[in-house]
Amino acid sequence: MYLTVRDATKTYGTFTALDRVSIEIEKGEFVCLLGPSGCGKTTLLRLIAGLTELDGGEITLEEVALSDLPARKRGFGIVFQSYSLFPNMSVAENIGYGLKIRNVPSSEIAARVTELLELVKLPQVANKLPGQLSGGQQQRIALARAIAVDPRVLLLDEPLSALDAKVRATLRDEIRQVQRSLEIPTLMVTHDQEEALALADKIICMNHGIVVQAGTPEDLYHRPATRFVAEFMGSSNLLSAEDVAKFYPDLLATRPASTETYLACIRPEQIELIPAEDGTATVRSMSFLGNLQRLEVDSPTGPLLVETHGRPCCCTGDKVHLSIASQDCTWVLDDADQPKAIPA
Amino acid sequence: MSSIDQTSRPRSRQSLDADRLLTLACVGLPLIGLILFFAYPMVIVFLRSITVADGYGIGNYTEVLGSAGFWRATRHSLTMGGATTALSVFLGFILAQGLYRCAFRGKWLIRGIIVLPLLAPSLVQALGLIFLLGRNGVISRALGIEIEIYGFWGLLIANTLYALPQAVMIIGAALVLLDARTYEAAEVMGASPWRQFRDLTLPAARFGILNAAFVCFTITITDFGNAAVIGGDYSVLATEIYSQVVGQRNFNMGAVVGIMLLLPTVISYSIERQAMKRQQAGQTTGQVAYQPSFSPLRDLSIATVSLLICAGIVAVIGIVIYASFVKLWPYNMSFSFKHYNITLAGGYSSLWMTIVVSLGASVGGTIAVFMLGLGLRRLPQALAQPIQILAAMPAAVPGMVLGLAYILTFNSTATPLYLLYGTAALIAIINFYHYHTQGFLTVITGFRQLPPALEEASGSLGAGLGRTARDIVVPFVAPMLVSVFFFLFMRSMVTLSAVVFLTTPNLSVAAVTIMRLDDAGLTSQAAAFSTCVMAVVCVAILSMRITLALIGRRSRNKGMA
Repeated sequence: MYLTVRDATKTYGTFTALDRVSIEIEKGEFVCLLGPSGCGKTTLLRLIAGLTELDGGEITLEEVALSDLPARKRGFGIVFQSYSLFPNMSVAENIGYGLKIRNVPSSEIAARVTELLELVKLPQVANKLPGQLSGGQQQRIALARAIAVDPRVLLLDEPLSALDAKVRATLRDEIRQVQRSLEIPTLMVTHDQEEALALADKIICMNHGIVVQAGTPEDLYHRPATRFVAEFMGSSNLLSAEDVAKFYPDLLATRPASTETYLACIRPEQIELIPAEDGTATVRSMSFLGNLQRLEVDSPTGPLLVETHGRPCCCTGDKVHLSIASQDCTWVLDDADQPKAIPA
Repeated sequence: MSSIDQTSRPRSRQSLDADRLLTLACVGLPLIGLILFFAYPMVIVFLRSITVADGYGIGNYTEVLGSAGFWRATRHSLTMGGATTALSVFLGFILAQGLYRCAFRGKWLIRGIIVLPLLAPSLVQALGLIFLLGRNGVISRALGIEIEIYGFWGLLIANTLYALPQAVMIIGAALVLLDARTYEAAEVMGASPWRQFRDLTLPAARFGILNAAFVCFTITITDFGNAAVIGGDYSVLATEIYSQVVGQRNFNMGAVVGIMLLLPTVISYSIERQAMKRQQAGQTTGQVAYQPSFSPLRDLSIATVSLLICAGIVAVIGIVIYASFVKLWPYNMSFSFKHYNITLAGGYSSLWMTIVVSLGASVGGTIAVFMLGLGLRRLPQALAQPIQILAAMPAAVPGMVLGLAYILTFNSTATPLYLLYGTAALIAIINFYHYHTQGFLTVITGFRQLPPALEEASGSLGAGLGRTARDIVVPFVAPMLVSVFFFLFMRSMVTLSAVVFLTTPNLSVAAVTIMRLDDAGLTSQAAAFSTCVMAVVCVAILSMRITLALIGRRSRNKGMA
């Protein structure tokens, strides 16, 4: 294991920002810390960067403890949401700053800066000041600055949040491309589940200072462990075991034997609608989203969200039958009242 | 919680980290200075006020409170403070309204003229008034009337001229924040200009007005120069301290009056800080600046009043310069340099001394407040807050009281600090701590604009605190540092109240020399000396402008290359 965080704990007064959090990052892996604001993901990133002190636990890089190492000696690269380029330095000086601190000869710095500017597709701006660049350009330079020193780990703190939607999508792909080609182990903090799904090899989903679930994007989407993950990663329909037993008994087979409350989670696109005169459900409303339709259906178990691709199968007010395949139903732990950690 | 206990905090090695030592030094050194040169003398002055023949007691207080002279001086100080505050806030509001809410040309001229009184020792306004309205004043003689300028009215005008720039700046800062869109909304809803003024401008500016009132009040009751020159028999608390200490050598009684003067200024200053916070809290981001359009009645009347006030200021300052070049005021008005041949012991030596002292105060002071600002950012809030409060306290202490505290502390052989007594270094130190708050707050404001992420990014790239300070922090806050440097320099050049007790026959400063020349009846020489001080301050302002422009151009040019 390349980077390991074990039992990291951080409290601010009476508020527990992180409660015995453990995560692992492998060499070359792109890991996303995903969660709502205040879940502790940024605190965790800052602990790893060395910008915040650990209250308890341990962080190791290649089996060496980092706790006593100040941020400047860790050799990590970091990109902030606010770009945070040095306003008094030109783009080239910004990118070369880390190398200058390491006393690299200026000719080598210049060559490296040129190379990095090519990499982030901004070869023309070397002599500009950060204030003369757009947000997206500034963030590209910030990325170049972070990777200039060949960081052992790249840390990205919501790097795309301040950008508008189009730039965000382009830069997202570029970050992924750069990370793949350089194989830098990367940890990115985000609250945007779509971003995490698109970028990550592994998503670590956090809430209330604990890791709720860690796994591949497919794992988290298709096999959420708790109600929180199911609701945070896209939309889902959650049905109680009693309702399932009454209306969809086939789905009960996969229900875990446990005393805790589990809910059946069914993604909107996994519900099939079959128009029928004697249907038990009614289409209440429909919104057209281009490539798909989102329907709200009144069913015996309450309102359900359904998404269908292709041509619309029915109209508002139509009676329908609902069909759910048993492999499309995931049983999730109901952690609505109390966050619960699921062992990875 | 057992797992947290097991993973103990291996912090010991980090405590020896170079950055931590540097942070400690950045906070520690200025903090020692604040304690030694501010907190400690203030404790001493308090102890002396309760020192009686047989130990400690409130005997001095009962004696002071029982004397008619003290109550008269208190009554005068409060009356003068109230009257000056009312007048300067009223005029200041008109001027600020003109500068920020009206459309007329020549605002730069008004801006330049109203700050003139700040460029000279406060007693220059008093000198100017005497040249204009005194027994031999040009106006009195031209009109053939006798005006009694010494006393309440003269002091009121002199103090108002001195407080006015502050009132205009503070109220102006509140007016400039008003969002144009609220006025557009009111316009669309059918509100008349008068209603807009009453319902939008006044409520929004109320904290600014309140703030300005307290600042003017504090300036007035703590000022010594004007009261000494033009107060005449109208004794105020500041002159009362002076006569107790210098006249009667009664230090304990002086300390009592000092503590009594401290009460209103501390109250006034704490209310002012609260008002400031409320005003800042009311700010919204992303506002649209107000662009006034020409409205003849409003703009012409306000422009006329502004022009009259400016004419008054120019007359008062100008007459001092003019009188310094006149052979024998008011009988022989031919041009002469003879008053520039200062006959009082020491001649110009005190001017050079003041320049040296001012440079010392501004260099040392700028470094100290920068270090403090840099270090405080890296301290936990619980530690930083008390230090910040201490650093903001000197503004509440009148210069007279601080000066008295210094003489009581440093003219005592009880501690090695005695070595500083009678040195130029101590005068530089008192000047710095007298104006510590303003310098510190300016730097803190600069640091607030510096995003923490910049320092964190620099740290992650491998830069230590020293390197980050040099490459990132200093370039960012450079304009602020330049302002603090010149602010401290200019204040040190003209201040009188704090240093008046610390000068000796061999070691004097410019403002004290002007007062001595005036006392000795050499009014024209006092005018000549004042003119020299104003010239030095003007050169300083010019240098500041050039420096700031160069900094601005350097960063702009860089982008062009």
